[in-house]
Amino acid sequence: MNAIGYEDIKRMLLAAAELIRAHHQRLSELDSFGGDGDHGTTMVRAMGCLEKGMAQAADGRIDDLLNQVGWAILGVDGGATGPLFGSLFMGMGQAVGDRDAVDVVLLADMFEAARESVANVTQAQVGDKTLVDALVPAVTALRAAADKGEDVLVALDEAARAAQQGAEGTRDMAARFGRARNRGEASKGQPDPGATSMALVFQGFAQGVRTHGGS
Amino acid sequence: MPNRKFTNKPDDIVNELLEGFVLAHPDKIRLAGSNLVVRAQPKAQDQVAVVTLGGSGHEPALSGYVGPGMLDISVPGDIFAAPGPPRLVEALEMADRPAGVLLVVLNHAGDVMSAKVAMQMAQAKGLNVKQVLTHEDISVPSRRDPKDRRGLAGCLFVIKVAGAAAEKGYSLDECLAVAERMEKNMATLAVATAGASHPATGQVIAEVPDGRMNVGMGQHGEAGTGEQELKTADATARLMLEMLVKDLDVQSGEDLLVMINGVGSATLMELYIVLRQVKRLCDAKGINLARTLVGEYLTVQEMGGFQMCIARMDDELLELWDAPCCTPALTLC
Repeated sequence: MNAIGYEDIKRMLLAAAELIRAHHQRLSELDSFGGDGDHGTTMVRAMGCLEKGMAQAADGRIDDLLNQVGWAILGVDGGATGPLFGSLFMGMGQAVGDRDAVDVVLLADMFEAARESVANVTQAQVGDKTLVDALVPAVTALRAAADKGEDVLVALDEAARAAQQGAEGTRDMAARFGRARNRGEASKGQPDPGATSMALVFQGFAQGVRTHGGS
Repeated sequence: MPNRKFTNKPDDIVNELLEGFVLAHPDKIRLAGSNLVVRAQPKAQDQVAVVTLGGSGHEPALSGYVGPGMLDISVPGDIFAAPGPPRLVEALEMADRPAGVLLVVLNHAGDVMSAKVAMQMAQAKGLNVKQVLTHEDISVPSRRDPKDRRGLAGCLFVIKVAGAAAEKGYSLDECLAVAERMEKNMATLAVATAGASHPATGQVIAEVPDGRMNVGMGQHGEAGTGEQELKTADATARLMLEMLVKDLDVQSGEDLLVMINGVGSATLMELYIVLRQVKRLCDAKGINLARTLVGEYLTVQEMGGFQMCIARMDDELLELWDAPCCTPALTLC
């Protein structure tokens, strides 16, 4: 499909929430190696906030939908998870503005804005074993797909694949940010829980668009 | 780790904790808005407000320092997790006043991110807020970037002097300057002898094998670099004080404030024994042990061990330290 609309964005958000819920135990388990083992439960709460934010959004406005979702996730009170994932959606919402159809170029703009919005709250770079390791390659893949004029769904699939690879790639990294960094070399051997969550979110975005087949 | 804690449903821990906490100190604190801990009697609008944020599970920190002479508002988060920006913005708006607001932030990823987003929003709303970051843990090997250092129990020193300065009518810039000077002149090192568990998930957040101790273990059980054989109180105090004094470059003749902060299961007996050795070591170096504080001020559930916090004091900092305060967890009068 060439462009997606408000209902597609809603399906993307709900599919991401569903995937996170399905994998929350795995996320907490990953967090138990470097953190305090609550990433899965925090992400499940964040997804509850996401749905609450969706319910508060003015019908039909993509930017309001994403801003409400972002604001609600900011309020999850779960350490870094709220500011990071909340900023992601707020960034997307700011970039879309008042437009009601999102083509692949606008989608790439929105995800680049999301990446910048996350960079505003963390100095973590690629290679630091954080969600940035999934986010940055996903956004790069999405932009590359947009430059080639790919279909929106193809672009989202490529972004999801890149995010997944990025998350997997954190397995051999030593953490340099957050609580896990204090474990240094001992943090190697497991993928980063935040990067894994980010990859699930991108996977959910692609699934949300695919299930409907476009509008 | 088997659960040996008296709690109810995991999701209710923070709410129930706060409910009991204000019930225990109705003359000093109450809850307002979205679980913000505020003073029972707010102070005058022409005095700077002091606000902080931080995860729960570290009682009496940080909400135990709300009251005359110290904080105006504390924003408690979930267990070991910073509150999100919306509640922090709510607190900053509640604290907003002509004199301005000083926000004290401990250097942990979630706290720093929440504060950053909240500060941007507060500024967009035209609020007059300034921030001081505490990052005095010297265990982090990288000395190149002090921002890598975590904020430990030394935040209490900053909250105390900033709160006293606010009460004396210092301007926001003057309060910030005092807070930053305190921050630059303090150093903390932790030692753990036993681990702790997350009260909601049961996850073991720190493990120290029997007969070992870990110098530098953080307040969420983040591993330090110094696991070694358990030593005596005297040997441990010597090891830690030497590192702290060296880091701060404390000279003979200078005044020190020293806090021995039990982190959960250390007994007061142990803490007093440690303080006694600190006094001997300071005497030998000609350092003046000007003020002391011994007790549980910032805990990590049932973790064993303590944090040793030292601060180089000047006349003004001593005067602010000695100023009266009356909070649930610290009263000086």
